Amino acid sequence: MAKILIDERECDVAEGTTILKAAESAGLQIPHLCYHKAFMPEGSCRMCLVEIEGLPKLELACSTQVRDGMKVSTKSESVIEARKGVLECLLADHPIDCPICDKAGECKLQDYYEEYGLFESEFNEEKEKRQKKIEIGKNLLHDQERCVLCRRCVRFLDEVTKTRELGVFQRGVHAEVATYDGILVDNNYSGNLAELCPVGAITDKDFRFKTRTWFLQSRESICTLCSRGCNIYVESHQGFSRFSLPKRVYRIQTRENQMINGFWICDKGRYDYSYLDQERLDKIVVNNSEDPQSWQEITSIVAGEIGRLFHMKRSSHIGLILQSWLSNEELFLIDKIFRNDINIGKISFLDPPEESSDDFLLTAERTPNRRGAKEIGFDLQPADWEKFLEDVDLLFVFASPIKGDTDFSPLKAALDKIEKTVLFASHNHEINSLFDMVLPMSLIAEKGGSLTNIVGSVQGFSPALDAPGNCKPAWQFLVDLAKKLMINFDFYNQFSSPESIREVMKKEIPYFREEHE
Amino acid sequence: MTDKILTQHFGLENLFKIDVYLENKGYEAAKKALTDMKADEILEEVKAANLRGRGGAGFPAGVKWGFVPKDIEKPKYLCVNADEGEPGTFKDRYIMTHNPHLLIEGIIITSFCVGIHTAFIYIRGEYEAVALRLEQAISEAYDKDFLGESILGTGFKLDVYVHRGAGAYICGEETALLESLEGKRGNPRLKPPFPASVGLFGCPTVINNVETVSNIPSIILNGAAWFCQVGLPKDGGTRIFGVSGMVKKPGIYELPVGTNLKEIIIKHAGGMMEGKKLKAVIPGGMSAPILTAEEIDISMDFDSLVEAKSMLGSAAIIVIDEETSMLDVLRRVTKFYSHESCGQCTPCRIGNSWINKIVKRMADGNGKREDLDKIIQLANNMMGKTLCPLGDAAAMPVLSIIQKFRKELESYIPLGN
Repeated sequence: MAKILIDERECDVAEGTTILKAAESAGLQIPHLCYHKAFMPEGSCRMCLVEIEGLPKLELACSTQVRDGMKVSTKSESVIEARKGVLECLLADHPIDCPICDKAGECKLQDYYEEYGLFESEFNEEKEKRQKKIEIGKNLLHDQERCVLCRRCVRFLDEVTKTRELGVFQRGVHAEVATYDGILVDNNYSGNLAELCPVGAITDKDFRFKTRTWFLQSRESICTLCSRGCNIYVESHQGFSRFSLPKRVYRIQTRENQMINGFWICDKGRYDYSYLDQERLDKIVVNNSEDPQSWQEITSIVAGEIGRLFHMKRSSHIGLILQSWLSNEELFLIDKIFRNDINIGKISFLDPPEESSDDFLLTAERTPNRRGAKEIGFDLQPADWEKFLEDVDLLFVFASPIKGDTDFSPLKAALDKIEKTVLFASHNHEINSLFDMVLPMSLIAEKGGSLTNIVGSVQGFSPALDAPGNCKPAWQFLVDLAKKLMINFDFYNQFSSPESIREVMKKEIPYFREEHE
Repeated sequence: MTDKILTQHFGLENLFKIDVYLENKGYEAAKKALTDMKADEILEEVKAANLRGRGGAGFPAGVKWGFVPKDIEKPKYLCVNADEGEPGTFKDRYIMTHNPHLLIEGIIITSFCVGIHTAFIYIRGEYEAVALRLEQAISEAYDKDFLGESILGTGFKLDVYVHRGAGAYICGEETALLESLEGKRGNPRLKPPFPASVGLFGCPTVINNVETVSNIPSIILNGAAWFCQVGLPKDGGTRIFGVSGMVKKPGIYELPVGTNLKEIIIKHAGGMMEGKKLKAVIPGGMSAPILTAEEIDISMDFDSLVEAKSMLGSAAIIVIDEETSMLDVLRRVTKFYSHESCGQCTPCRIGNSWINKIVKRMADGNGKREDLDKIIQLANNMMGKTLCPLGDAAAMPVLSIIQKFRKELESYIPLGN
């Protein structure tokens, strides 16, 4: 351990820690542009220079390792002067087009100018003219005038994806980031570049000019488009009072988690978020028309149907088809209600087929919780549908979100013959019309709970969005239903939240105890 | 014995051929080193000679070699820096053109001492003819068993390769040179780690200037004591002073370290051209802070020039006369560094371009009163605040020219601006 003094603040850090990290651990932020936790220090932006007692020159905080007894000043006159000097240089050739820049509001250059600069420009020469809209990837545009040459993008493609599509060309003030012979950035992680860029040099076509960052509310969530369970932020717009917006969600951003996804998410997770807003089913539909009945009335009807068969000892004529978009808690409740209490006997999964994995984050499984279902004890092998549906009188299907890639054709022919069919869905889909009752469900992003990813990590999540319309989280419906069934009332009555369900689940299923979190 | 070490045999016909070189005690030092001396003894001798790096920084060569880890499984490399790019400097070209085997002999001894089996000569791209001559000399050395699998039957193996640069000043900076040699963009590396431990292809690497390496044979042959006595005790040997500018006899002059600058200009270079009056001297390549005519009575060694707030650098002496406008000098300096900055560090990339734009505007007759102070501020922003020494190299001449010739520079600013 080394004892050092940063701005009169004492910190004990491990030998070999850099000054920048030591300062952060003491709650002091040292400005930096080229440095990023994911990469080795580059030392080129020169924003992080600090003064070390006894040394003649200012030293880099990003790469200089601490020594016992070191005295560092991050706010001395010469440090501030150097910082201002760097900002003055960066802004001299910068187009200062913040009003039309997507990065405005979360731009490091803007933030640092506010914090350390606030000078009048003394640059009286002609600014360098550069290209402002170069296509460098399928979703990426590069503005060379805004670029500060931190090389984060180049290093990402060199070190993380190893696809090496970008390089620095030319020298001195003419140095610029560009593609090699116009060959575009083409990998499943390209979207990280726009997020990694500390300024507005690389912008995302998907987000370009759509809204301003300060209107966005950023909430934690977990990506559900494959079984990796990457940690994300769902960024949504609350809308304006005088006119409505076409959607709520404007962006998905990465959330660091070294155990799961590091600093990155794949392009599928980043860009395929339109399902959160498009074609949402947000009302109760009975016999193909909107039904005025409340959830309470509907729950009673469903409970009545189940109860009728249960009391007639015809539980084996109840069928249940699931998809692993459901949370651990919801699957646990389903297991309890339908297998333990009612013992329906016919439960099967109808998940979308596997696709190819990209050998990094994106997995072959395209639902988020197959592992969770397995650990709870479900058999994930699809049933022989003809046999499965043969003598079913009451069928429940949880298919949320309905995506084009699930093959529902084995169900279609049988649905007509079943006395009562109930679909729990999040989206409008052609299959919906074949069900007697279609009930609107919240998505993972709209509720709380936990998911178990492909390697078995159990990750909790809370709502990142409000549920639209009349949507309800499945766990809520299941608790209400179980209480209505009056089979094991006291057990279900203790559940008021996903957390309370999880507590019981942990006690009952050893897998969900802490070590997998 | 003559005071000349490197240029002693210059003028001999066909000195660049191995036969002529051998007739003049060529490769005797290599023989002595490889057959009679241990690596440690060579290192001690070179350390004792106080041979300071001739590339510009003046770091003692023996000390540098000593930093290379001894017991390491990785290969070690020698890179000879022949990227002679410092404006005003042309000494290495002469050594390599006239006496290439002296350099090769130095490479053999250096490699033997440090335990190196592969050496590279990184030569600036513009020196095409010189590179061809080096390759010719290397091939002769292979033929005579001075290079190859078992040099002179000693079992010591060494291969030497010539690598041509592509015309970037920055590749003379040692870590940028390594990047370039590895086939990458020539950007300087963050130090530490230093090349002695992590250098070429991540392996321990010695990087020395052509002139430095060429001094090794005579140190081995004549001993460290002799070498120190030629120069100064703490700064041994000679320097090849490349004199250019308004003198009667521009050219290279090999003289003991510590020779007086005034003497070099007046006695050796023949003094000022007819009718020209001395105004200023850049004593160590363009990066060295300028000296006024009054400041040239000075010993040309590393420490004396540092004391005079300048530097010996590559010992390239640029002589400027009264009729030369200092604004023109400044314009050349700023244009050069603005063009040659690699673009990695913010203060150097934009600072140099900004300074150059101001100076160009001044040269176009549109200078403003506040311009010189802005240039000073921008140069101070670079000084000591960049990853490699190019920031300093660009700032130092600019600051010294403005400091010493401010009146003249101000006279170019139109009244009322």
